[in-house]
Amino acid sequence: MICIGSTMALLYKLLNGIYFPKLCRKQDAARSFLLGPLFAGHPSRLYSSIKKPETDSGRSSPEGKTQGGLEKQAENNELSLELISPEEKIEVNFDKAIKDEIKYHFKLLKKELIDHWKGPEGRPYHEVLLENARVMWQFRSNEDLDKWLVTSDKMIGGKSKAFLKMANNNQSALFYGILNTELPHDGETKQSGYCAVTSKIPRGAFERKKYYDWSNFNTLYLRVRGDGRPWMVNIKTDTDLIHKSHLLHSYFMFTRGGPYWQEVKIPFSKFFFSNKGRIQDRQHQLLTDQISSIGFTLADKVNGPFYLEIDFIGVFHDPAHTEEFAYEKNKRISQILDS
Amino acid sequence: MSPYVLTIVSLSLLTGTSVTLISNHWLTAWMGLEINTLAIIPLMTYPHHTRNTESAIKYFMTQATASMLLMFSIIYNASFTNQWTINHSPNQWASLLMTLALAMKLGLAPFHFWVPEVTQGIPLLSGMMLLTWQKIAPISIMYQISPSLNMQVLMTLSILSTLLGGWGGLNQTHLRKMLAYSSIAHMGWMTIIIIIYPTLTMLNLLIYFTTTITMFLMFNHSSMTKINSLSTLWNKSTPITIIIMLTLLSLGGLPPLTGFMPKWLILQELISYKNMPLATALALSALLNLFFYMRIIYLSTLTMAPSINNSKMQWTLLPPKTLTLIPTLTMISLLFLPLTPMFIVLT
Repeated sequence: MICIGSTMALLYKLLNGIYFPKLCRKQDAARSFLLGPLFAGHPSRLYSSIKKPETDSGRSSPEGKTQGGLEKQAENNELSLELISPEEKIEVNFDKAIKDEIKYHFKLLKKELIDHWKGPEGRPYHEVLLENARVMWQFRSNEDLDKWLVTSDKMIGGKSKAFLKMANNNQSALFYGILNTELPHDGETKQSGYCAVTSKIPRGAFERKKYYDWSNFNTLYLRVRGDGRPWMVNIKTDTDLIHKSHLLHSYFMFTRGGPYWQEVKIPFSKFFFSNKGRIQDRQHQLLTDQISSIGFTLADKVNGPFYLEIDFIGVFHDPAHTEEFAYEKNKRISQILDS
Repeated sequence: MSPYVLTIVSLSLLTGTSVTLISNHWLTAWMGLEINTLAIIPLMTYPHHTRNTESAIKYFMTQATASMLLMFSIIYNASFTNQWTINHSPNQWASLLMTLALAMKLGLAPFHFWVPEVTQGIPLLSGMMLLTWQKIAPISIMYQISPSLNMQVLMTLSILSTLLGGWGGLNQTHLRKMLAYSSIAHMGWMTIIIIIYPTLTMLNLLIYFTTTITMFLMFNHSSMTKINSLSTLWNKSTPITIIIMLTLLSLGGLPPLTGFMPKWLILQELISYKNMPLATALALSALLNLFFYMRIIYLSTLTMAPSINNSKMQWTLLPPKTLTLIPTLTMISLLFLPLTPMFIVLT
């Protein structure tokens, strides 16, 4: 089982091109054909983490005006093009790649075994049981941004742009961009105009999917500063079945748009069930013991710029909130839907 | 669930297990297993939830794979020995494949990964059926072919089950997963003695059933699925708290409770066959299970978790569910150790 898992993980890593400096289209085709069905829920790195490229300030410096400065600038421009001449050989070490990957995954496995001995999720048992609140994601450095994926309708040919970067003073993350509802000219797509930022699915040794256990908590706590637009908070639960990867629990988040931070508390009982963006007739509650990812989506059909600043995302237990599920409490309707 | 559907499903479950129990022909025994697998699917998927459906799919895939392997071994055996009766000793390789197929059905390690995932995703009463009733048919087949089973393979499967069942349950906070890992460990105890003294397997199965059904019924009565909810159970129902504590000690195999009986007899039998290392390994692995049972007892009975004041008087309110069967099963699972000589004579 471990050999098969390690082989699959290695194949995936190699096709992702860790040890190859360029990603070529052939690797994409191979990856999507061979391994696409196996890696449901593991999005392509090509379409993720689109960051705004750093541009020059545009101001001319006194150095640039001299002859030497202009020559330096020309040299810098040539270097910044990152062209590799055909005479240069790209170093490819397949054996080193495999050995390093195997070592890395076995280290992770060892850590998992030790953590299992310590307690649930590697923390002492009493700490987990007495816990009342937990900060799941906070944005204090670029490493925190690596745990998130940015997607937009660019995947389906749309023209929206979305970026994620650290905000001022590295105290929050800024998700910003431009929403564009213009349809792609493919004759098939009927709706367009969405931007989303989603947390990556936690992975263990040999790229095994893991999940978060939020069963001790009943409310989601967000500290955000928005632009007045209505956002959607989406929570995905862990599933091993590919056809269930589109199932979501969602709720609205109305941002104020002011200069002050907003603390949003959404009980898990308020999340409604949807599949591929369509709210389902047969609703059921969000089970919080196997949470896979959380995301924020903007799809309010209004063209224009947007931004959402996120300080941290946490969960806590509100003892005053005893509701289990807010919808479909009418037993008669539930019976009709169940039959 | 509609009473008609419930009746048909229950009758199908009963039919499937009965067909397997009474059959002498491999095909009818296999047919009974299939009826069992299909009959429990509607029970697992009600009430409708994506988690239930996923658990049912996982259960069906695992059981179908095991059935496929079993059918292959039956046909392989028939092609070599020209025999379709269960009593006739199967071919060596067929016996190995049958062992692996039945191990997958029972959830023995290393085919145990589906048990906690499936048990966690289904309601408590469906989980109870899965961990108790669904074990009868495969164990009965194993009982019938026990003289021809490979000792080394069975020992490996059993030791792995007891160790992994204890290891996996160590840091669980969900009660259903804990009982699933407990089931894996108990299956290990049952299969290790099936070659030497098969009737002890049946005795162990019977006592395991009484204690596990008691636990599930008590959890269902108080609608508990997490260990946190146990910590405030003393507010709602103090007698249930005490019964949970005693039943868990019985499940862990502590004397003078009934659960000690099968473990004691199995260890005694292994020692009489001069198999001290195996007996020692089993006894030590039982400590892992006992550790997480003690943890539940510690949280539910021996400590007072932080709680808000208005939840402290819930015991004054009448419980909505009745306590059917719990008193009877509790007596059986706690007080039947002195009847051990009777059980030995009867078996």
